[in-house]
Amino acid sequence: MPAMGETDYQVKVAKDLEDLIPVFMKNRHKELDALRVALAAADWEQLRQLGHRMKGVGNSYGFAHVSTIGKYIEDGARSGDRASLQASIIEYGDYLSKVQIAYE
Amino acid sequence: MRVLLIDDDEDLRNLLSRYIRGQWPDAEIEAYDPLERDLPGIGFPLGNYDVVVLDYMLGRGDGLEWLKALKQRQDCPKVLFLTGAGNEIIAVRAMKAGADDYQRKQELTREKLLTSLRDLTATPVERTVSPDLAARLEGHSLGAKVRIPGIKVLHLIGEGGTARVYLASRETDDEPLVVKILRQEIVLNKKALERFMEEYAMVERLQSRHVARIVGHGNYENHAYLVMEFFEGGDLNRRLAGKAVPPAEALRFFRELMFALGDIHEKGILHRDLKPQNLMFRRDGSLAIVDFGIAKNIAAADRTGHGEILGTPRYMSPEQVQGRALDLRTDIYSAGVLLYQMLTGKHLFDGETAMEVAMHHLNTEPPPLPAHLAQYQRLMEKLVEKDREARFRNADEVIGFLSRKLEQERPAAPLDKTQQLH
Repeated sequence: MPAMGETDYQVKVAKDLEDLIPVFMKNRHKELDALRVALAAADWEQLRQLGHRMKGVGNSYGFAHVSTIGKYIEDGARSGDRASLQASIIEYGDYLSKVQIAYE
Repeated sequence: MRVLLIDDDEDLRNLLSRYIRGQWPDAEIEAYDPLERDLPGIGFPLGNYDVVVLDYMLGRGDGLEWLKALKQRQDCPKVLFLTGAGNEIIAVRAMKAGADDYQRKQELTREKLLTSLRDLTATPVERTVSPDLAARLEGHSLGAKVRIPGIKVLHLIGEGGTARVYLASRETDDEPLVVKILRQEIVLNKKALERFMEEYAMVERLQSRHVARIVGHGNYENHAYLVMEFFEGGDLNRRLAGKAVPPAEALRFFRELMFALGDIHEKGILHRDLKPQNLMFRRDGSLAIVDFGIAKNIAAADRTGHGEILGTPRYMSPEQVQGRALDLRTDIYSAGVLLYQMLTGKHLFDGETAMEVAMHHLNTEPPPLPAHLAQYQRLMEKLVEKDREARFRNADEVIGFLSRKLEQERPAAPLDKTQQLH
């Protein structure tokens, strides 16, 4: 996975979507927990589905990096690449803790 | 507007509902969660809705199966089907199963969603009042009318100046394809029609993996058409999205472009209209050139009349701006302009009018690359030299330069390997 740049942590969201973001972020944190549980259980199908969902929802809200990490998780789950999945999930946690959202 | 929104993702249901209510504040939206509810049964009032938005992955169900079941009902309204990006066979199957429109979920913007819903729910009056809508509907009906042996034309996906572009599929195996149907005004223009047919003849002759694969061409009731491969990775314009791409990736794309130019120049063809919209990516990440609408045989290029300026001003060579006789160095210049854009995320020259941009190509020194890209400065200078005698002479020279000057400095960069799309 390419290294994260400063701008990857900065997200611009349309003002009229502001009230949706708390639910969106809460769901991302729940997703992170689910990813960790699935990895611990080596549940590749669950990981694939979670990655696929991230891929679909991230860009839609302007969180391109959620989609990017989702793609890596989906691919990693398909190939059963535990090390890559672990790295992606750590990166996802790091991203969620640092992401800065600007409404405009 | 009454909308049935079927998606297993709460966030997407929330987002799409917000988009719809922003446009139609009185819209009635039923957010239907397939994780909690089964496929709407026979007692479900499907006919009460104007449109259904249906996702292709429903968590514990298959959106395609739901689509087929819903479409078997007499009271089923129009269906907008959401598919995955880079997996066009799902779109093919959805359209064959009766979907009225499809959108790639990952690329679904507010504007795309609303346009689609507007098209699907337009009243007869709205259809005549809005010129854009009328044009799209005309495009849709044309696609439904045209018959191509072995090919099913499924859905209008784009409109260009010379042709409408449709998603299509091969009937034997559902392979996604693109059908371009020439606009009538072009068909009536003998010169433009000749250009379109030349595109087919030239591209077929190329047989290069760096050039779009042509499946067939022909005429149906005076509608000239071309059938070609579908590019699931989209075009360079979409990849750039107004930003720079990492240098290693930009160089990889550029190197593939040089191989493509090498192939077409070897066959005696100039492209003359290189731009991000004409560089397409396959699913495996490989790049191919499309749209040879204004390409010319090198032998014939010097017959272009003075004052006839074809091409896109942002990427035109100085000699092209002047309407001078062209050779393959014109494509080298345009490729250089593209490389500048990939590396910096900016256009080489900007201007308020096409003419202003064109004149910059003629008279203004190109801006230097930013300091962190200084290692590519010499390459850039040799690509966008205004004097073509001082420019790289051909794609081989550029590839040689890349190998000698750049790849030796970065031995780890896998420039010659095809990479998966991210």
